[in-house]
Amino acid sequence: MDLRVPSGWFFSLLGLILLGMGIFQPDTRAALTTENVNLYAGACMLVFGLFLLLLAWRARSNE
Amino acid sequence: MKLAPVDYLILALYFAFVLGIGWRLRKGISSSGDFLTSGRSVPVWITSLAFIAANLGAVELIGMAASGAKYGIMTAHFYWLGAIPAMLFMGIFMMPFYYGSKARSVPEYLKMRFDEKTRAFNAFSFAVMTIFSSGISMYALGLLLKLVLGWSFTVSVLASAAIVLAYTFLGGLTSAIYNEVLQFLLIALGFAPLAILSVMKAGGWQGMVARLPANMTHAWTYMGSPTENPMGVEIFGMVAGLGFVLSFGYWCTNFLVVQRAMAAESMSAARRTPLIGTIPKMFLPFIVIMPGIAAVVLAKMNLGYALPLKATGGPDYDQVLTTLMSQFYPAGLLGVGMTGLMASFMSGMAGNVTAFNTVFTYDIYQSYIRKGASDHHYLTVGRVTTVVGVLLSIAAAYVATRYNNIMDLLQLVFGCVNAPLFATFLLGMFWKRTTAHGAFAGLTSGTAAAFLTLSCTQAEGKGGWIAQLHQFPSQMAQNFWIAIIAFATCFIVSVVVSLVTTPRPDKEMEGLVYGLTKVPHDATAKWYQRPAPLTVAVVIMLLILNIWFR
Repeated sequence: MDLRVPSGWFFSLLGLILLGMGIFQPDTRAALTTENVNLYAGACMLVFGLFLLLLAWRARSNE
Repeated sequence: MKLAPVDYLILALYFAFVLGIGWRLRKGISSSGDFLTSGRSVPVWITSLAFIAANLGAVELIGMAASGAKYGIMTAHFYWLGAIPAMLFMGIFMMPFYYGSKARSVPEYLKMRFDEKTRAFNAFSFAVMTIFSSGISMYALGLLLKLVLGWSFTVSVLASAAIVLAYTFLGGLTSAIYNEVLQFLLIALGFAPLAILSVMKAGGWQGMVARLPANMTHAWTYMGSPTENPMGVEIFGMVAGLGFVLSFGYWCTNFLVVQRAMAAESMSAARRTPLIGTIPKMFLPFIVIMPGIAAVVLAKMNLGYALPLKATGGPDYDQVLTTLMSQFYPAGLLGVGMTGLMASFMSGMAGNVTAFNTVFTYDIYQSYIRKGASDHHYLTVGRVTTVVGVLLSIAAAYVATRYNNIMDLLQLVFGCVNAPLFATFLLGMFWKRTTAHGAFAGLTSGTAAAFLTLSCTQAEGKGGWIAQLHQFPSQMAQNFWIAIIAFATCFIVSVVVSLVTTPRPDKEMEGLVYGLTKVPHDATAKWYQRPAPLTVAVVIMLLILNIWFR
């Protein structure tokens, strides 16, 4: 098993959930935050997840 | 603090992936070697991350934020002075013997190099300690979840133990290691936003330096005298005690971490495992310690954040991490943070359980209870031991709830047992004249010296049961000095006894000792795959960090 596949899926899904929160509930804040942190964190996680999937896909097509 | 439905969704998603990985890996298990040592087939980037993740349990995560708030940036010495030099030493100098000896565990290496009694001493003490460490971390997590989220202690302890059991039972060490990597990534990505948000709110590093006493933001400047720095430690105790004895003892001899490197697919990969691991390890203080320091600043800024207090008064540093999460993480990200905390707990516990089942199966069961059975039999024993290990950890967690002080005491005891170990390995691997009797005499007298030091000195009300010959300014200083004394005693006694006992013939020690082992030269490998350039790069980065935060 290439661990990059499940990790990639996990972070992509996690990123989508946070991104969804950031888009559909943009006013969600904690006591000390002023920014839409779900949106930014979600975008980063989605990018990271897709990057892992890309690496795994490239490794497979090289075989 | 209350979790929203989306937070529970994230938690559920994580559990599904962890169990899924275990389920997928179950097919790869056909021998005891597959189950207990991963059949030595794990890629190097995975073993490297697992190497540092197995140590990053919930107790460490909560503890590092707590120490950050209590001691400031000096806490980073656990990384920059302690762990990283030790990991480099392990990869360059010690791994060739561990991996090359074909030992399946650290106690088994001791058996090959010395004899049965040293192995037994190490195997039994290690087995007991892993169970209690895993129990202590389970207890800490259960308590925290109860305090923060109001979850039932029993439910959170049993549910998290059941999940760890499920994936380690299905996929053995490989499953534990693969999940540790996922857990590590989640901890890093889940807590990085907290570090960024809290440090930014506290005015950035410059703002923090301006608002804090200078000894909280300098790692080296105030180490001249123990009264000047918050840890109460002087430079010799720090460098020799933490930087040398304790860190090298932990990172180079503790089977929990060494096992991850031993699972690597080749000698070269095994050596690079701790070396590559140093790179993420070096930057972990920014994620795990910085929020703790930022919390102290935030509490001074009239933002509505105050340091959490104990019921008896005084700050409760262990709650710093969770209170920060509740202040900075909205629903969604809060779920990620809580899941990261659960992940750290699971990686710590799975690390203990997989090390325990290997040591029990190979070093206790196969050596003293039933020799020469079929491999299938040992695979079954390995699986049963996994279940028993988890059950014993749960029992230990409940013991901790009944007798809180016992756990403090046990941690002191474990410190004493671990302290002299590195001297035994150093002599065993690099001085072929060391004999089996010498090693055993050194190890037992070193352990005794540690207990004696603990019993004759006092710090913050701990120790000093026999006499009170010395008062240490802090428990930290006491720990460091116990380690120094235990190491020195073990070293001297081993040397003296070795010189008066018969040495082993060189032929029997091939592959086990420096000078009688062919250390592989990776001249044919690409330059970035060789240990030396990697080490030079790490040392340069390490020096920059130490000078920057001096």
